[in-house]
Amino acid sequence: MIEERGGPVSETVLEMKGISKAFSGVGVLEEIHLQVAKGEVHALMGENGAGKSTLMKILLGIHPADRGEILLEGRRIVNRSPREAMDKGIAMIHQELHPVLDMTVWENVFLGREIRTRFGLADKKAMARECGRLFTQLDVPVDPGARMRDLGVAQCQLVEIVKAVSLSAKVVVMDEPTSAITDREVEILFQQIARLKAQGVGVIYISHKMEEIFRIADRITVLRDGRHMGTDSAADLDNDRLIRRMVGREIREVFPKETVVPGEVVLEVRGLCWGRKVRDVDLSLRKGEILGIAGLVGAGRSELAQTLFGIHKPTGGSVHVHGKPVRIQRPGDAIALKMALVTEDRKGSGLNLKGTVQENITLASLDRLFPRGILDGSREGDVVSKSMEKLKVKAASPKAPVDSLSGGNQQKVVLAKWLLAGPEIIVLDEPTRGVDVGAKRDIYLLLGELVKAGKAVIVISSEIPEIMGIADRILVMAAGRVTGEVARKDFNQERILGYAAQFEGGGSSGTG
Amino acid sequence: MKGMLAVLLALTLVLSAGCGNATEQPADSVGNGAESREADLSDQRYALLMSHMTNAFTMEMSGAVKAKADELGVQLTIFDGEHDVAKQISQAETAITQGYAGIMVEPVSVDGIKPAVTAAKAAGIPIITVNQRITDQELADAYVGANPVEGGELEMRTAAEDMGGKGKVAFLLGPMGSDGQIGRTKGYYNILGQYGDIEVVYEQTANWKTDEALKLVENWLQTGADLSAIVANNDGMAMGALKAVEDARLQDKIKIYGLDATPDALAAVKEGRLAATISQSTTEQGMLGMETIFKIANGEEVPAEIIVHHTLIDKDNVGEYIK
Amino acid sequence: MRRNSREVGAVEQAKSLQSSRFMREFGILFVFAGVLGALMLLSPGAFARPANLMNIIKQASVNGILAMGMMFVIISGGIDLSVGSIVALTGVVAASFAHPGEYPFLVPVVLALGLGALIGLLNGVGVAYGNIPPFIVTLGMMTIVRGLALIVSKGSPVFGVTAAFENIAGAFVLEVVPLLVVYFLVVTGASAFLLNKTVFGRRVYAVGGNEVSARFSGIDVQRIRLAVYTISGLLAGLAGLVLASRTVSGNPTAGQSYELDAIAAVIIGGVSMSGGSGKWYGTVIGALLIAVIGNGLDILNVSSHYQLVIKGAIIIFAVLLDMKGKRK
Repeated sequence: MIEERGGPVSETVLEMKGISKAFSGVGVLEEIHLQVAKGEVHALMGENGAGKSTLMKILLGIHPADRGEILLEGRRIVNRSPREAMDKGIAMIHQELHPVLDMTVWENVFLGREIRTRFGLADKKAMARECGRLFTQLDVPVDPGARMRDLGVAQCQLVEIVKAVSLSAKVVVMDEPTSAITDREVEILFQQIARLKAQGVGVIYISHKMEEIFRIADRITVLRDGRHMGTDSAADLDNDRLIRRMVGREIREVFPKETVVPGEVVLEVRGLCWGRKVRDVDLSLRKGEILGIAGLVGAGRSELAQTLFGIHKPTGGSVHVHGKPVRIQRPGDAIALKMALVTEDRKGSGLNLKGTVQENITLASLDRLFPRGILDGSREGDVVSKSMEKLKVKAASPKAPVDSLSGGNQQKVVLAKWLLAGPEIIVLDEPTRGVDVGAKRDIYLLLGELVKAGKAVIVISSEIPEIMGIADRILVMAAGRVTGEVARKDFNQERILGYAAQFEGGGSSGTG
Repeated sequence: MKGMLAVLLALTLVLSAGCGNATEQPADSVGNGAESREADLSDQRYALLMSHMTNAFTMEMSGAVKAKADELGVQLTIFDGEHDVAKQISQAETAITQGYAGIMVEPVSVDGIKPAVTAAKAAGIPIITVNQRITDQELADAYVGANPVEGGELEMRTAAEDMGGKGKVAFLLGPMGSDGQIGRTKGYYNILGQYGDIEVVYEQTANWKTDEALKLVENWLQTGADLSAIVANNDGMAMGALKAVEDARLQDKIKIYGLDATPDALAAVKEGRLAATISQSTTEQGMLGMETIFKIANGEEVPAEIIVHHTLIDKDNVGEYIK
Repeated sequence: MRRNSREVGAVEQAKSLQSSRFMREFGILFVFAGVLGALMLLSPGAFARPANLMNIIKQASVNGILAMGMMFVIISGGIDLSVGSIVALTGVVAASFAHPGEYPFLVPVVLALGLGALIGLLNGVGVAYGNIPPFIVTLGMMTIVRGLALIVSKGSPVFGVTAAFENIAGAFVLEVVPLLVVYFLVVTGASAFLLNKTVFGRRVYAVGGNEVSARFSGIDVQRIRLAVYTISGLLAGLAGLVLASRTVSGNPTAGQSYELDAIAAVIIGGVSMSGGSGKWYGTVIGALLIAVIGNGLDILNVSSHYQLVIKGAIIIFAVLLDMKGKRK
C-alpha cells in the first residue's frame, strides 16, 4: 500500500517508476516509486538492508533493474555505469570515501574530467585555479594544493561534496554525508544543499539522523524490506511516526538509559600529554559510569583514547588503574590491564576484513583463551557462538568473512571482540557511526548492560543528542585540552557547544 | 643495517677460515721474486677482464694468469664482468684511462666487446683475447685459447668409440647461445656425421648447472629411454647427470662424459664413475695469455693465434691431472 | 511468499561466498587435474608410472620447502627474495664442512640451518624494526648473500662430501620414499599445524590482513614479522642443505631464481600477494604443479625455451582463476 500525500511540489526532475530487482530469483526491491522535484530535498529512509543502496545502485547504473524505468526530465534513460550516470547529470556522494590519496585536492576534484590545454595535456594551473575559485565561492576551508592523504575525514568529505557541486548535476545523491563531519561542517554542507535547491537541483538525501532529516527534507520516502512504505511531506511526519514506519515497530525510547550508582574510581588520569594533540588531560572514571567525551572533529578525543590504550606513547602525565600507577606502552599492556578500545575507524583499525567473524572476535583474547598457544576449535566455536548470540550478530556462520556483513553487524563484531577480552574499562570511539537505527539501539542497550555489570565506560561521540542521551557525565575537549565538564543534571546542548568552541582558531585543526 | 653487515662479514671470515682447502693466494700482486727483478717491471700493470668469476673454470683461468704475472714480477688487476657486456666495456675503458701496459679480455660476448678493443688500439695499449675469439678478432693483437669445436669433437669421439658406434645418446647443453654451448655442440654433430647408428634422443639445456641437470636427467630416465651415454657441455652438468644415473642404479648401462676437468670430475674419473672429461688446459691458456700480453707490451713479436689444445682425460691418464 | 530482504541479502552473500570459496580453494585443483590429465594422455607410458609420481614429489620438495617458508612471509603481508641466495650460501657452507674426516656429521647440518635462520632473522630485523619495505631488505640481502656464497666458495663448487652427507637427501625410507620427500612432508605438516592450529598462525593472518587492527588488538606485530622471516630463512637453510646433499656439492650459483619459483607456488596456491589469506594445501598444490609441468615437459622433450613460456602462462592462468573466484 502506497501513501502519496505530498504530491508533486513542482516540476519533476527524476522519476523512478515501478522499480523491481531480484538477486538469484529473490526479490530485494518491489515496485518502488521515487519521484524527485526540481529544487527538492527528498529524504530516502529505511534501516540498513531495506533496499536504499540497491535502489541508488540501480539509479547509478551499477545494477540493472529487472522491471521499471527511470525518467530524467521526462526522458527515459538507461545508465550502464556511474560514469554514464554522471555524464547525464546524476552525481553521487558516497558514504565510503574513495579519494585517490596521493593526489592533490584539485587533481581529485577534476579526476576523470581534467581541464586540458590546447595540446591535450592536463592544464594543472587552470585546474588548481578553478578549484581554488570554487572553494572560495563555496566557503570551503581546504587548500586545493594539499594532498588528500593529509586531510581529515571531514575535509575529504567536503572535497567530495564540492566535486559533485561543481559537476552542475541535475540530481545529487548524498549517502550519509554527515556521518563523519562536525556540526560546523554540517552547516557548510547545508549551505551547499540550499544552493543546489536554489539552482533547481533535486537532492536525494540518505541519512539515519532524524534531526537532520526534519531540518532539510521537503519530502520523505521510507523503504522497509524492499517495499515502498510511503512518501510524505516532512511536515506531516514526526520522529516517532517516521521510526515506526521504518522499523515496523514501536521504539519507546531513542536512548534507553540504565542508571547505575557509580562505584569506586577505576581509572585516574593526570596531566596526560601526547605531543600537541593531547595536552594535559585530567580525567577520572568510576565503576558503573558512562563518561561521554564531546568535542569537534580534531579536538584530540580519539588521540586521547589511543594514548590511554598505548597506541601512542604518552609524552607526559600519569595513569592509575585501580589506584596503582601503570605504564601503558603498547596495546598489549592496556589489554593486560583489562582495558578495551573500540576505535572509530571500523575498517581501518577495528577489523581484519580478510578474516572471518570468528577470527576477528577472538583476536584480542587468544592468549587468554589458549594459554598454551594451541588453538582449540570447539572451545573457540563455543565462545564465538555465545558472544554472537549475546550481541545479536547476524552472519551466515562464524566462519563467514567479516566483510560480508552489514555495517551494523561489523560494528557488533568489533564490540564482541572487545567484550570477549573481559575488560573492566571500555572506551568506545564513535560506536554508532554508520549504523542503522535498530543496531544503534542494540548498542545503547549493550552499554546499559555493561555498566550494570560494573564496567566503566567512556564514549566518544560527535552527535551531541546521542552523548546527552547515554552519558552520566560529559567531558568536552577542544584543541587537545579538556575545556569543560558537565554532569547529567546540567546537560545542555548550548553549554556543551560553548566548551567545544573554546580555543577555536587558536588550536590545531587536524583530524579527529 | 651496519650491524647486520658487520655480523655477516664476521661470519664470512669465520667460515672461509674454516674451509681452508684451497691454496692461499698471495695478498699482494707483487710476488716474492719482485726485488730481484728490474724496478720498472714491477711498475707494469696488466688488466685481466673476466666474463664472470662464478665457476671453477673462471677461477682456474684467473688464478693461472695471476700466477704467471707473479712469476714475471708484474702487477695484475682482475676485473669481474659479471656476465654483463656493458660492464666489461666500461672496465676496459677504465683500464685504458688508467694507463695499463696491456689488457687481456675473456669476453662476455663475441660481438659486444668490439668498442673496447678499438678504444685500446686507439690509445696504443696492447689487447688480446683469451679463451674465446671475438667476431672482429683481427682488431686485437692476438688470441690465446682453445677451440671449443675441437673440445666437443674430442668428447663425442670418445663417447662414440665407447658406444661401439651405435646406441642412444642424450646431450646436456650450456645456456643456449653461449659460445661454449654452440662450439662444443657443433663438435658433437661433426663427429655424429661419421656415426650413422648413434641416435640423439634428448638435447636440452641445463644452463651449466648441476641441480638443473640432475632434475632433467631424472625426468629423462622416467621415460625408460634406453640411453647408452650422456654427453654434457661441461663437468658441472655431467656431475648432476652422474648423480641421477647412480640414483637410478643405471651406472652400468649409461656412461657419462664431461668437459672442463674440474677437480670433482677428475675424482669421479679416477673412481671410474665418470667415463671421461676433457681438459681445455685452462691453466695453460691463462699462463700463455699472460706471457703473450707481456711479450707484446715489451716489444716482442707474437703469432696472431696461439691455440691451446684439448686433452682427453680418462681412467688411464687421470693420475697426471689430480693435484 | 516473499522473504525478508535481509535474509535475501544473507542468502545472496552465502551463495556467492560458497561459489567464490569453492573457486578460490579448489579452482587450482581443476588446473592441476587438467595438467595431470593432459600429461597422462600425452605420455601414458612414462608420466603416469608410480615411480615417476614419486620422482615428481621429490623434484617438488626443495621448492616446496622454500614455498612453505615463503607462504608465512606472504600471508603476513611481506615478501622474501633472499631465499635463493640463502640456498646457495648454506649449501656451500654445509658442503665445506662435510669433507670426509674433518667435522662430525651434525656440524654442516646445524650450520646450514642456523645460518639460514640467522639471515632470515636479519631480514626480519630490517623489516620489523628498521621499517624498510620487505622487497628492499630482502633484495639487498639476496645480493649480499649471493656474494657471500661466492666468497666462501671462492667462486667454485665445493665437492668431496661424506657418504653420510650425501644420504641426508639421498637415502630412502622403506626403500621407496626418498628422505628429501620426507623433509617436504614434515615441513608441510609443521607449517600446516603452525598456521592453522596455533595462536601464532592466527596472528600471522591477522597481521597480513590488517596490521593496524592487529596492533590495536594487542598483537606484537614486530615479533610476528621477525618470526616469519626467520622461519623462511630457516627453511631456506634446510633447502640449501638438502640441495647440496642431493647434488653432492655446494654450488655458489645454485638457487638462482628459486625465490621466484617459491613465490609462484604460493601464488598459484591462492595466497593473496597482499597478505592475510591463503591455505597451506594450496601452496603444496602450487609446488606440485610447478614440478609436474617441468617433469611432464622434460619427458615430452619440450625445449626449455617453450617450457618457460608454458610455465609462465600457467602461473598467470592460475592467478586469473583465483581472482575470478574472489570477485563475486
